[in-house]
This record gives sequence, structure tokens and C-alpha cells, in this order.
Amino acid sequence: MHELGIARDILDIALAEAGKHGSRRITRVDLEVGVLRGVVPENLAFLFGHVATGTIAEGAHLAIEEQPARLACEACGPTEARGFTIACPGCGNPAVKFEGGDALRILSIDVDDPLPEREGE
Amino acid sequence: MKVDIERQIQQSAEETAGKIRDLLAARKVFSVNLISSPGSGKTTLIERAIEALRGKIRVSVVEGDIETDIDAARIRKHGVQVHQINTRSSCHIPPFQLLSALAHIDLDATDLLFVENVGNLVCPAEVPLGEDLRVVALSVAEGDEKPLKYPLVFKTSDLLVITKTDLLPYVDFDPGRVKVAARAVNPGVEIFELSAFSGSGLSSFLERIEELCERKTR
Repeated sequence: MHELGIARDILDIALAEAGKHGSRRITRVDLEVGVLRGVVPENLAFLFGHVATGTIAEGAHLAIEEQPARLACEACGPTEARGFTIACPGCGNPAVKFEGGDALRILSIDVDDPLPEREGE
Repeated sequence: MKVDIERQIQQSAEETAGKIRDLLAARKVFSVNLISSPGSGKTTLIERAIEALRGKIRVSVVEGDIETDIDAARIRKHGVQVHQINTRSSCHIPPFQLLSALAHIDLDATDLLFVENVGNLVCPAEVPLGEDLRVVALSVAEGDEKPLKYPLVFKTSDLLVITKTDLLPYVDFDPGRVKVAARAVNPGVEIFELSAFSGSGLSSFLERIEELCERKTR
């Protein structure tokens, strides 16, 4: 539901960064998104494609790296959960501690090389 | 060519929340962001708080709903300042809308600001409103597995209020299970059980709010 605002934000950041480097095209955007952010990657990719239309990021690939939530079960020790369920996947104990899974970061963009500066003059 | 960025998305929301925080700090207003599903009793809880704190703490309210000013009308009857936000299609109160709403509230005549978020356990958890205290309410009619199904809101809240405990005889709800689940996602969460209808448990919750509020406003 809130992916549209996120998509717009990603586009704004990507365009600003590409502008700084004098790039004419953004071909890829790398993101880190925590599994607890409630972001559906397919929705985000679709909406990003929509908002990027007509900009230099049109057609850019949105590469979403999911950041897992890390669980620590008293009995089974640390493990990873790639979803919202916070019970220990080993023994089902819900008394686990967890951290991470809340990232929402743009890591990098791939852009074409800027035009070489003109020599002379 | 790869350009490293490493930047938080939705920074603008964080920045606006920071402005709200600064504004409320300057005016010595203690703010509570109240989040829950629709129908868990947020508005009733605020109404009870207004009455219980009358004469001690000056309460103002910002109401958030998709449509209508039904809740603001309820609050207005208690004779306190209230401003209604209609978010239209947005499933939460965005920080910029709260910042605009605060222009309609006399903050110098406010000690405690309740911000009643749009009824939703998902998106409001994502959105900072510069609050001093985040409270999530969960009614016993909703089921005791909610902290497992909607962990972020329970993880990011300071207080969990289990509401409508007068309905416990009629529903399959184990407060013990909720507490275990809530503490699993948020070991430091303070948990209160109350019924705004019968008044049971209400005073310990309100005493805690009062204590936290006075810590900031005095």
C-alpha cells in the first residue's frame, strides 16, 4: 500500500545522484529492504517502473536485496527468518529475540559513463 | 559505472518527523502516537483519558481517518482542542499532514497531545511522527496472535494496551500469549490490560501516561 511513496523516493534519490555524475541513463538500482518493512518487491518494482517512465531511469532494473530478520532462540541459538513469523523455525518457540529486517536503503545505482569532457578550448 | 549511495529511503519523512519533535519539545508538549486496527477502541480510550486527566493535564487531540470528522466530533464534546486529518487514500498519517495539523492546535495550551492514527496495524508502524511515546492498542476481540502477524508495530511501540478486557469471557483470547509474543518482538514493551467500558485497569495506564507526560512538561 505504501510502495508508491517509496518508489517515488527511490526515483528522486537515483535521479539526483545520476545528475551529480552527469549520467544520461540509469540502468540499475540496488536496494536493501528488510523483510519486516512490509514491502512487496513485485509491487515496488512495478510502481518504480511506472514512476520512472519518461525519466532517465526508465527501464532500470530494480534489484532488491532482502535483509532477513535474525532470530536468537534460547534453546536453538541464532538463525534467520525470511518472513514475518518470529517463532524459532527449529522448535517453534515464540520467545525469541530478533534484530534487523527493518532496513530500507538505496545502496547504489548503475549509470552509463558520463560524456568525456571536451578537450581544449 | 556503479555509484555508491547508501542512503535511507523516505528520509524526508524522518526529517519532517524531526521538525515535529523539535516543535513539540520547544512547546513542552508530550505526544502520543496511538496505533491500532480499526475498532480496537482508540477514540474511547482518548475520551476516557481526557476525562480522567481533566484539571491536571491539558489534553489536545489530532484525529486521523481516511474520511469523516466523526471522531473529532466525539472528542470536541469533551471540550478539548481537536483537529481532524482526513488522509483520503493514505493508510496512515504522513508526517507533513501532522505538522500542518499542529498549526490548528494551541500548543502553549497543551501538555499532552494524542495523535490517533488511521486504523491500521501495518503502515503506521513505518512512519515516524516525532512522537515521545508510541502506543499500540489491541482489543481482545482481535485475537492473541497479532504480535506474531504484525511484528513491526509491536516492535516499535513503547506501550501495548490490551483493550476491551470486559469481553474476555466471550472470546478465545489469552492475555498471557499476547504478552509472550509481544515481549518476543519487543522485550522492553510495557503492557497494560484495561477496559475503557468498565474502567478496569484504566487508572494504571493513565497514571503511567501522566508520569511520562510530567517528566517532559515540568
